[in-house]
Amino acid sequence: MKNHIRIFLLFGALTLSYTLSGQNMAAMRINEVQSVNTDGFIDDYGCRSGWIELFNTSYGTVDIGGCFLTDDPNDLTKYMIPKGDALTKIPPRQHVLFYADNLPDRGTFHISFDIPNAKQILFVSNNGRTVIDEITLPEGGIPANKSYGRIMDGEGSGEPTHFLQKSIRVAQKEKAAGENHGWAILDKVTPSTNNLTLDGDSKSTTMGKTDPYGVIMAIVAMSVVFVALILLYLVFKKIGNKAIIKSHIKEAASKGDIADAASVRGKESTSAEVFAAIAMALHLYREDNEAHDIENTILTIHKESKSYSPWSSKIYTLRETPQVRRNK
Amino acid sequence: MILEASHNFFSLIGENLNQFLQYTGFANATIGHIAMIIIGLLFIYIAIKKEWEPLLLVPIGFGIIVGNIPLFPGLSVGIYEEGSVLNILYQGVVKGWYPPLIFLGIGAMTDFSALISNPKLLLIGAAAQFGIFGAYAIALALGFTPAEAGAIGIIGGADGPTAIFLSSRLAPDLMGAIAVSAYSYMALVPVIQPPVMRLFTTHKERLIRMKPPRAVSKREKIMFPIVGFLLTAFIVPSGLPLLGMLFFGNLLKESGVTRRLAETARGPLIDVITILIGLTVGCSTQADEFLRLKSIGIFVLGAASFFIATAAGVLFVKFFNLFLKEGNKINPLIGNAGVSAVPDSARVSNLVGLEYDKTNYLLMHAMGPNVAGVIGSAVAAGILLGFLG
Repeated sequence: MKNHIRIFLLFGALTLSYTLSGQNMAAMRINEVQSVNTDGFIDDYGCRSGWIELFNTSYGTVDIGGCFLTDDPNDLTKYMIPKGDALTKIPPRQHVLFYADNLPDRGTFHISFDIPNAKQILFVSNNGRTVIDEITLPEGGIPANKSYGRIMDGEGSGEPTHFLQKSIRVAQKEKAAGENHGWAILDKVTPSTNNLTLDGDSKSTTMGKTDPYGVIMAIVAMSVVFVALILLYLVFKKIGNKAIIKSHIKEAASKGDIADAASVRGKESTSAEVFAAIAMALHLYREDNEAHDIENTILTIHKESKSYSPWSSKIYTLRETPQVRRNK
Repeated sequence: MILEASHNFFSLIGENLNQFLQYTGFANATIGHIAMIIIGLLFIYIAIKKEWEPLLLVPIGFGIIVGNIPLFPGLSVGIYEEGSVLNILYQGVVKGWYPPLIFLGIGAMTDFSALISNPKLLLIGAAAQFGIFGAYAIALALGFTPAEAGAIGIIGGADGPTAIFLSSRLAPDLMGAIAVSAYSYMALVPVIQPPVMRLFTTHKERLIRMKPPRAVSKREKIMFPIVGFLLTAFIVPSGLPLLGMLFFGNLLKESGVTRRLAETARGPLIDVITILIGLTVGCSTQADEFLRLKSIGIFVLGAASFFIATAAGVLFVKFFNLFLKEGNKINPLIGNAGVSAVPDSARVSNLVGLEYDKTNYLLMHAMGPNVAGVIGSAVAAGILLGFLG
């Protein structure tokens, strides 16, 4: 039985470690694509080309070195993102832009194909087989100098959610229906920046506007504090009651009084110290001369301090000093 | 020729000495620096002479002195100069990883038995958190922003690490003043609380005797940190760093199989972090950052939050007693212990109780709401962080 549990735990740990190792890269999403760029974004060589934007949806840095970008589902390893480039480590919630100019000699972010006629863009894991994200471009292509992207960064088809099952189900359903949910031809072309800019106030400012006197905060927060601690109270009241009953049954059973053991259920608790005191009082009462108010002896624990003990002596744990023989 | 050379030589020495003088504290001192150094000395005096929170006030007091040595800027020694030793040590405060480590130690040294044996005492710990939100409302009325008000309000939780943790996120500019205020009032618990406790209780109430707590089984003690963590963290996930470490530390203690880890957490680890947090928080109170009108406001609000928290705890017990049978009633003098200054506020309950009945020891009972206050203030901090962070 123990072996079964060990095997189960080992298997669980292995599965978990596999999931965790794959989690980082799986957080990357294709976020925005521009196929034809004649008057828009200029790359670091002063040229214009189509581009693919990736977005790190996670709250940790993701290294995409060794992953692949392609526009051909039959050739998943068309362009490998070089390894060892510090810039391929994408910070949390940040974007990275790849220029689809078919000029890979120009650096890490210039890929080996262009995309004016592409039907699909795929981002593939560093094993060259697992498709992390894919997007089917609109039929008839993306209008020139416009971009096709997620309305909310990182969200939409294949979006990562906290509920993996739901995400897979939704993604599969959308895939079966041939939909790119959450994607659109964007009003503004936004390479390397958020597709949707949230011009909202901070939480603190919003709270200041909605609750200028702090009354709502006090009511809500105190309610939450009370709910949390009331729950804890209820749970431990229940647990405590059970523990009391159990200890009474155990105690009664140890005395061999089964009837008593059955009758203790529901009775109030009395601490062990009280029982001990009563027992001692009865004992002393039976021993005639022992009933008194002032004790003539004191039972206590005297701690013996030993300054030296061979058990802690380092001398016994050392090796003997080797003898040196000198030739005369 | 010789005269000219010697003249040049001495003028060069004079220039160098003059330049050196510009680097000394004497040339850069202001009245603010001197005032802060006096405050630091006062902290050390209170800690040594009165023995009020010496473990915190000595490092903070000395830190205030260190932080207010007038510096020539650019020497890379000040706490706000990037890369300096003090700045590196200060990162534990700025990034907020010292407070959870202190909570780990607190968890490893706290015995929750009193609370487990009488779980209704948890509610007193909840009621005392009203001080936080009362001070929050007053701070808003005084013109502080909601984030600043939240950071100031947490002083009423009487929990230094929580105050540092929350203020580092909500109002980093005010962190020095909030931390010093929180620790100062924690040290002053024996002075602040008794008058409030007397004000809201009658002589008869102060004499209430409570039933002795029952013995708690090992299984219950082990279950408490696990169940407690799951329940509180699911409700307030933003309190995870504090709650997680608190309950984890307690599990190390109660499991019985990780004695070495528990001893490290409640001994060397918490000592090291206490030294670092005390010193760096003290250092962060540089005169130009600290001596502002806002700091005075923070101290006033801190006092108000302590007053409200103590009163709320006491009044809640009185209200609670209306629903309890005779014999099960709670002495309202333990209501003050709902603020989580462990174990000082519980000790105050005991001392005030003994003033009215020499044989009525309330310490064990007061420890229940006292440790509940630690949980309650961590939960409250999580809520404030969730709403305002």
